[in-house]
Amino acid sequence: MLVLKVGFGEWLERSRSRRNPVTPVLGGHPRVPQAEAYQKLMAGKVDIKIEVIAQADAQTKITLVNRAKKGWPDIIFGTAADTAQFLDPSNGFAADLTTTVSKDIFTGFGEGNSDCLFDGKYYCLKNDLANTVLWYNTKIFKELKLTVPTTMEEFAATAMKLKGTGYSAGAIGDQNYYASFLQSSECPLAQITAPNTVRIAPEDPKCTRVSKLVQPLLDAGVVDKRSSFDAGFIADVAKKNKVAMTLGPSWFGDFVIKPADSWGVPAGEIAAANMPAWGPAPDDRSGAYGGGVFTVSSHSAFPQAAADAAVWMTTSDVMAKLETTPTFPAYGPANKLWEARISVDPYYASNPYPAMAAGANKISQVDRPVRFPFVAQIGTVLQAGINGGGTLEAAQTDFAKSLQNLAPSSGYTVETK
Amino acid sequence: MARSHTKLNSLFVGSIMFAPYFALLIAFGIVPIVVAARTSLEASVLNPDGGPLNYLQVLQDFRFLPALLNVGIFLILYVPAMLIVVAGMSLLLDTVQGKWNISLRLAYLVPASLTGATSVLVWYFLLEPTLSPYQDILKALGLTQGGDIWRAPNLAYIFVVMAFFTGAGNWIVVQYGSLQSIPDDILEAARIDGASGPQIALKIKLPLIKKYLVYMGILVFAAGLQVFVEPQLISASVYPGLASNWSLNQLSYSFAFQGNNLGAAAALSLMLLLVCIVSAVVLIFRTDFFEGSGVKRK
Repeated sequence: MLVLKVGFGEWLERSRSRRNPVTPVLGGHPRVPQAEAYQKLMAGKVDIKIEVIAQADAQTKITLVNRAKKGWPDIIFGTAADTAQFLDPSNGFAADLTTTVSKDIFTGFGEGNSDCLFDGKYYCLKNDLANTVLWYNTKIFKELKLTVPTTMEEFAATAMKLKGTGYSAGAIGDQNYYASFLQSSECPLAQITAPNTVRIAPEDPKCTRVSKLVQPLLDAGVVDKRSSFDAGFIADVAKKNKVAMTLGPSWFGDFVIKPADSWGVPAGEIAAANMPAWGPAPDDRSGAYGGGVFTVSSHSAFPQAAADAAVWMTTSDVMAKLETTPTFPAYGPANKLWEARISVDPYYASNPYPAMAAGANKISQVDRPVRFPFVAQIGTVLQAGINGGGTLEAAQTDFAKSLQNLAPSSGYTVETK
Repeated sequence: MARSHTKLNSLFVGSIMFAPYFALLIAFGIVPIVVAARTSLEASVLNPDGGPLNYLQVLQDFRFLPALLNVGIFLILYVPAMLIVVAGMSLLLDTVQGKWNISLRLAYLVPASLTGATSVLVWYFLLEPTLSPYQDILKALGLTQGGDIWRAPNLAYIFVVMAFFTGAGNWIVVQYGSLQSIPDDILEAARIDGASGPQIALKIKLPLIKKYLVYMGILVFAAGLQVFVEPQLISASVYPGLASNWSLNQLSYSFAFQGNNLGAAAALSLMLLLVCIVSAVVLIFRTDFFEGSGVKRK
């Protein structure tokens, strides 16, 4: 979680130093190099203070400074769900960016900034997209004479061909099951149908078709009930290079499949293909596992400078560089520069960019960022159900029930049909 | 006249000695409770008018009963385990005198240095079948995957183990100290009367340190009721979300920082405080906690 504080010039900085203490930079956050580049660029013009806090602490921090009525960061990096909480009148931290950010910028984002659109206004700027694609091992596919699936039915059929071969079609026991399967299927679990009304309908055919398709794969042992990050799955399957294919977000390649301390799949074997479609368009959406946003404070003493900083963080050419922006930029022009880098990355067996770009424009918008802790419930209920060996149908139903119980505590009326 | 002067003097000295504690009690004990009491009546999205409805909403929340059950199981396991093991180990330690005693006391204290995040990481490493140095034992027990261990039904036991090893060592040393306060002549008389070692331990020493065990029980119960660090860290890092809202304190945290409902959070915190106070009062008055302290009106 990245927190930026901005101010104009040294003299102004001195005058407000009591309200804006210098805060340390703690290393290790992927967005820190981006922020440091901006800090360097604006040296002498705008003073940038960078602070790193745990992502899970974003809402805590804002709630506390709201309570103290001072000490707000000017910009905060987090999730669109955080923004949904921040723009609620009971919180009020998120600023409406309609007037401080130019229309050209919003146009440049295209669909990339749709997570930040609430009731016709933009309350954040999307940093990166994490749409799901099909990652597959070209060497294993060649060895087993498999063809790359283009539909979910083909995905299931291809996965079934792995039975008895010792190869796997990936692990689903974490948020990936929601993102790659339920969300891409447009299962309504956080669908905003009216202001403060959310539809959570696990019996919708677009939910039930998911468990019907995946349960046989789980039963056959060709998809794993563990997480892609599970130490056991990594040791037993991934590190042995036994993952023939997996659905996963665009960052899986660089952050999960490639690193030697993760799956450590050798160079030249991995490729990305378009997210398999549940049906013909428009039933061909992708899901999203992650993707951060910058939210600007409505309390900032320098609203334009704060908005400009958020714009730069999400749109600058620095976004194209690996060391500053390791994930798929949401802003179109920055994304093009990033493409130039990833498309020639020798690690991949073929250019993974086209598949990433194809899915980026098709992220399902049925489920929306909501004020209640949706993602936490994935871990508590959905993931726990899958890891525990129960049926997917039961895990989905329990997950939906927990959301139906939780949503009213954040002021939502729940529709279940 | 002299007597009343002495009384006044004593009152003055006593007040001076009590003043720092009193100031801290007001600042960090009473004021937060008053603030929490006021906050617990604040308006929220669920309760726009504010007031005592916040308390009812906490009790009606769908996460409340599961969290209460989790904490209940945790307490049933944790408090007796602490009392029995600590009392037993202290009595054993008391029998070992000489040069080994200091080394043993130090050895009991070492596990207590692993607290919070460190403790969770160490136990994750020990219990994760694919990483554990004891994976052969775990596999023999049928535990071959992380998911076999890190499951909701197992969490109470895992958290008890974490909390136990963090806290027991300290308390063993404390209770050893209380055993040292037993006058030698009582033990000597017991020996002359023919009492065996176990009889002295169970029938002489244990009753004489009962009040210290009651004191420990109160604190261990209060700490257990407020269990937070272990489930929160497991949820935040090792298995995301696995134990979110597992305990009542976590639920209070969620009310405050995920539900933007500080009123409900304060209401739940005050309910926990009330349970702690009532439990402590019951324990104190149902035992001879304040008797035989050696301080008598002169």
